[in-house]
Amino acid sequence: MTDPSFDGAPTQAMPTVTMRRDLEVRFSGSGSEYFRIWIVNLLLTIVTLGVYYPWAKVRRLRYFYGNTVVGEHPLGFHADPKTMLRGYLLVFLMLALYSVAGNFSPLAGLLAFVIVAAIWPALLKSSLQFRLANTSWRGLRLRFRGTVGGAYAALLPMFVPALVIIAGVAAIPDETQPPDWYVLVFSGTFTLTLLLAPWLWWLLKKYQHEHYAYGPERTALNAGVASFYGVFLKTVLVTMLGFLVFFAVIGLTVEAGGVAGFGRGGEGSGKLFAIVIGVAVALVSLFAVQLVPRPYFTSRMQNLIWSRTASTNIGFASRLRFWPYFGLTLKNWLLVVLTLGLYWPFAAVATARMRLEAVRLQFDVDPQTLADQGRAGEGEAAGDAAGDLFGLDIGL
Amino acid sequence: MTASATELAAVEYFDGRSARAQPVRLSCRDAELRIDGEGVQLGVPLRDVQWPERTRHGVRVAQLPGGASLHCADAAGWDAFARACGRGDTAVVRAQQSWGWVLASIAGLAIFIAVAYQWGLPWAARAALPLVPQTVDAAVGEQAFESIEVHLLKPSQLPPARQQALRAAFARAVAAQPAGSVPPHRLLLRAGEIGPNAFALPGGTVVVTDELVELVDDEVVVGVLGHELAHVRHRHGMRMLVQATAIGVVASALLGDFSALLAAVPVWIGQAAYARDAEREADADAVRFLRNAGISPAVMVTFFERVRADAERRAQERARVRDGAAASAPPPAAAPVEDRTGDARSDDRSWLGIAIASHPADAERIRYFEAEAARR
Repeated sequence: MTDPSFDGAPTQAMPTVTMRRDLEVRFSGSGSEYFRIWIVNLLLTIVTLGVYYPWAKVRRLRYFYGNTVVGEHPLGFHADPKTMLRGYLLVFLMLALYSVAGNFSPLAGLLAFVIVAAIWPALLKSSLQFRLANTSWRGLRLRFRGTVGGAYAALLPMFVPALVIIAGVAAIPDETQPPDWYVLVFSGTFTLTLLLAPWLWWLLKKYQHEHYAYGPERTALNAGVASFYGVFLKTVLVTMLGFLVFFAVIGLTVEAGGVAGFGRGGEGSGKLFAIVIGVAVALVSLFAVQLVPRPYFTSRMQNLIWSRTASTNIGFASRLRFWPYFGLTLKNWLLVVLTLGLYWPFAAVATARMRLEAVRLQFDVDPQTLADQGRAGEGEAAGDAAGDLFGLDIGL
Repeated sequence: MTASATELAAVEYFDGRSARAQPVRLSCRDAELRIDGEGVQLGVPLRDVQWPERTRHGVRVAQLPGGASLHCADAAGWDAFARACGRGDTAVVRAQQSWGWVLASIAGLAIFIAVAYQWGLPWAARAALPLVPQTVDAAVGEQAFESIEVHLLKPSQLPPARQQALRAAFARAVAAQPAGSVPPHRLLLRAGEIGPNAFALPGGTVVVTDELVELVDDEVVVGVLGHELAHVRHRHGMRMLVQATAIGVVASALLGDFSALLAAVPVWIGQAAYARDAEREADADAVRFLRNAGISPAVMVTFFERVRADAERRAQERARVRDGAAASAPPPAAAPVEDRTGDARSDDRSWLGIAIASHPADAERIRYFEAEAARR
């Protein structure tokens, strides 16, 4: 209505022009400082026979969150250790019952598995809810808006293969002589699970990354299942390549060692040879699962998932490169083993730094203007404890 | 306390409902934290403020009741202000901040683990054992026996008369023991792929192989059975299970974050040391068992010598077969199970150190039995 030239008032100066701003993630934690936190935590946890564990966990998370600086503001972690202790006791009890049940009879094991499978998705949901509701940035709590129904839809397919196998064990009369059909069912289920693994993983990640919320912003994961299959496939290829290189190196070493040791001969060189073989086998298995595929999968998956996660006004980008991450993993392993575990806190800090600092955030909106949309449930600490025990993580 | 220290500028206030930062200044007066800024006028009792823990780096964030928070990028300024407000560090934070305390923690941890390992764990396992019903021993033993039986054992090939004689000798020895010192058990004779061997399982199943019976006199077998009965009587198998579980828990607390694989190593090493102690205990019982039966402990020396000679013979045979490139080489007779009483290779492994070998070296055990035999 009014003449546009009169709209010069400061309040209307920049109404819809989006100002893209990139926020970097910086990790300011230090290995030596975390080492001191870790060792004191460890002492208190062991001396109190584990009761201190939730306090230790809160201290650790506060340290890591507090040193994760997004833009100019750190994350905050607010969980109450006392609530978490209750959760841990509950989950511990459940886990104890579960592990005892399997010893009595296959049927009891099956029953316990079904019970765990039945409540596990609900636990996952409340674990995510608890974790996010206790995480803040710029004084504003994050939220997890997933539903229980969504958790069941995302997780139940994961339990089907295990259920088939456990039910099979319960059905066959003699475990030591499984009938032919069981072998067929077992191998069939196993193959199918392998083929479906990327899809199952995608379901889980989709559920997680579709429901993170910050103020009015709510994330979505714009990655199809095909991209997950791509990462899994490439991980398999890289693993095989790693094996080839490793075997070539070992082969050459043994060849050289064999030629050198041949002159002396006798029992001694045979024993030495056996030791060399034993060490080599241990190294290969370590290499096979820990050193090559894991960093490769972790880095590629982090990049895929976080680069495709975005809300209306907030986007993420992750550029974690494989070779530096592989080098870091190798170095961490070496030093942890050489120092009998004492290097572990330094390794944890270095890993967190590399993984977190690979991430950038793009804001199409001024963070100043974001506000919470009413209070949401905070989730159960039991869920958080369960997530801990079953190795669940946000993925960063 | 300088006047400036009780005031702090350049602090950001977040109300907890929006991400908007509001610049404020803090001051401390009458046990109350004053927060003053444009549109923010607050007073919070000092004890309701959740102060940040002092760390070397990082923005200081204090939590206020109701979800609001204060951020301060000037860590040193904040710490001075907090001190001026009468806020000290908690004991845990002080410990974390000082290398002296950290070193003390490391030492404390090491001492704790050493003491627990040396005395605490065996004591706890012994104390916990009566709480585990005997039926569990039986169930575990039965399960273990089934899997061994299927894969490694065959029915005994010994002539019935020979079996009879051995059982009679064993029964005589058992009858000579003081009442209550012999646990319920069953003796099984088996052939198989485990060489001259004997082992006991939780619940009382004791297995002797044909190769052992053929290698030595019945008196020697009785001594070996005395040793195995001691394992049953002291419930060594179950104790080992309890201890392995406990070591596993501690190891995973220490290393589990990093790698489950590494966390399994202490279980393996720790087990071996406890297993050696169990063997010593069983050897001592075997001596008593033999004495009560009127047999000299010296028979056990014969046992070790025979087993060693047998192992050497087998090794030479294998070498001959290998050199002769015979197509039908017999499978090597070495498959460690639950409890190898005769392990003739122990000496070769001495370089691995006392921690790893699961049995005391043969030489040590031979000396022990010789000394016991001489004492009578």
